[in-house]
Amino acid sequence: MSTMPLYEDAADQQRAPLRRFRAGLEPYLYIAPSVILIATIMLVPLIIGLSYAFRDMQLINPFSGGFVGLEHFRNLWMDAAFWLAMKNTLVWTLASVALQFSLGLVLALLLNNPFPGRGIVQALVFLPWAVPTFLSGLNWAWLFNPVVGPLPHWMAALGILPAPENILSDPNVAIWGPIIANVWWGIPFFAITLLAALQSIPQDIYEAAAIDGAGSWRRFIDITLPFLAPTIAITVMLRTVWIANFADLIIVMTNGGPADQTQIVSSYIFTQAFRRLDFGYASAIAMVLLVLLMAYSFAIILMRQSLLRR
Amino acid sequence: MASIDIQGVGKSYGTVPVLHNVDLSIQDGEFVVLVGPSGCGKSTLLRMVAGLEGITRGDILIGGKVVNELAPKDRDIAMVFQSYALYPHMTVRDNMSYSLKLRGTPSERMSHVISAAASKLGLESFLDRKPRTLSGGQRQRVAMGRSIVRKPKAFLFDEPLSNLDARLREQMRVEIKKLHRELGTTSIYVTHDQVEAMTLADRIVAMNGGAVQQVGTPLDLYERPTNLFVASFIGSPAINILDGILRCDGENRHIILESEEQLPALARIQGRDGQAVKVGIRPEDVQVSIQNAGSRMGQVELVEPMGLGTILHIGTVHRTLKAFVLERADYPIGSNIAYSLPADRLHIFDARTGQRIAD
Repeated sequence: MSTMPLYEDAADQQRAPLRRFRAGLEPYLYIAPSVILIATIMLVPLIIGLSYAFRDMQLINPFSGGFVGLEHFRNLWMDAAFWLAMKNTLVWTLASVALQFSLGLVLALLLNNPFPGRGIVQALVFLPWAVPTFLSGLNWAWLFNPVVGPLPHWMAALGILPAPENILSDPNVAIWGPIIANVWWGIPFFAITLLAALQSIPQDIYEAAAIDGAGSWRRFIDITLPFLAPTIAITVMLRTVWIANFADLIIVMTNGGPADQTQIVSSYIFTQAFRRLDFGYASAIAMVLLVLLMAYSFAIILMRQSLLRR
Repeated sequence: MASIDIQGVGKSYGTVPVLHNVDLSIQDGEFVVLVGPSGCGKSTLLRMVAGLEGITRGDILIGGKVVNELAPKDRDIAMVFQSYALYPHMTVRDNMSYSLKLRGTPSERMSHVISAAASKLGLESFLDRKPRTLSGGQRQRVAMGRSIVRKPKAFLFDEPLSNLDARLREQMRVEIKKLHRELGTTSIYVTHDQVEAMTLADRIVAMNGGAVQQVGTPLDLYERPTNLFVASFIGSPAINILDGILRCDGENRHIILESEEQLPALARIQGRDGQAVKVGIRPEDVQVSIQNAGSRMGQVELVEPMGLGTILHIGTVHRTLKAFVLERADYPIGSNIAYSLPADRLHIFDARTGQRIAD
């Protein structure tokens, strides 16, 4: 019996490294299923997709697939349609985000005041968000159509249009059709998030400011906006990235036309990939868009962190 | 600085009345404390003076001018909130100078005023910090600094010390009192803490159920409470209340307690024979003796030593009586103890109305 403890000690020392290795491995085993899942359905396709940008990938050409280096990017640089799409993306994104944000903020401020029937109005206001995008696109396309929709007649009567014509077929203003539809559809997102942020501002801070001598405009500038700033930064970033990629309304309403005047980069990618079946070139455009949006998000995140730190 | 007059002020939310016909006249430079349990309307009254709540009936005058329709910013008052309500995105300096900036004060004058206020409150080293890096007591000081920089007509305090721990509360109480002595600004202070009310006030306004119960100096309220509510709200440990019947026999007055025991009362007590009364006696007025046997005997049920003195819970024929004694004698639980209830220390109230019976 007296040798038993000694024997056990020796065995412990031998097994200790193995046990430590097993204990170290354990947490990785637990997360392995999700890591493997994410890798197979996200990372692998992403890398394959990115590799297309450097290869000649055309669906209708069975002999394609060879490595072409930076040729797609050189073509892209010379592609006038791509630069037009870049310009349109800028107009589309800036106008949509700016209008959605400012109208959403106005709506949130209105809904933040108590009034009879506020619950019902809130529910109604958030309704556009629940409409499928392609349905709202189709509806707006019809609204802009002078044969079935009232909008061209109203706009002509108000003097905005010289004649009741379809703005979607006028190359100069066609882009504003999808923008209006997008604004209508996207206001609720800003209204919901900004309303939630507004409701988290303590009431007594407004009261303190009122006693300090701030009128409603100064209270908005000095209290409301600083409190909303982090929410504004994150929602504007999310929406910008999302709208820059958001081709649904454009595809449904104008399909990029007339004469590519409403083509944005993501709808151009869609056209290249699924209409011309040139996956290599489409992938190169997508890569450019990805890099631009990542740079943008990174800048916004830095900005938000500096806002929060202040 | 200014006087504040509250004349027949009432407040209702819809059909629910929360304040009934409050009359109160606060002199220039006076420190008035509104005290009462939660929901008694004291904060509502303060917020009506500040202009944060509308006035349903009556008038509020600041410096002799009716301010009913004036916006808070035009009433020239300053308010300290329970939650401090500091602007979290501004530094201490900006918090304090915000009201001056809105009034277009020149910047040299502003920095002069801020540094004077900061040194008075011991905030010099925090001026460039954000409120969230400060402790509760420091935040409270910033909130007071924000109020004093613009020399308002009146300070309104809405339970400013409720979020602080007991030690800090005591310390800030002293600072508020000192500050008031230095500045002499008319102040209204709302609290549910009767110790704060007693120590700070020139005059206390005891409120309950949306109505003023009694207005007077702290000792007035303590020694001559006008009704049962004031008697039981002011004072810690709380007053003992016994039920009884008043007997008038010629010039003699005595009270028959529930236990059939007789309690002599002062001859000058008004009231009629057979009137149901409630008799109050403060714990420190109950006289106890452990050595001598007396006519009234009880048993020690519980002993609460407080350092300053001891609270004894004495089991008697009329429920448990609390007695506060200063001597630090040892009172073993269960031991017999003689007590007496001196006639000149009794507060006698009508049992039905709760009003003090005149004497």
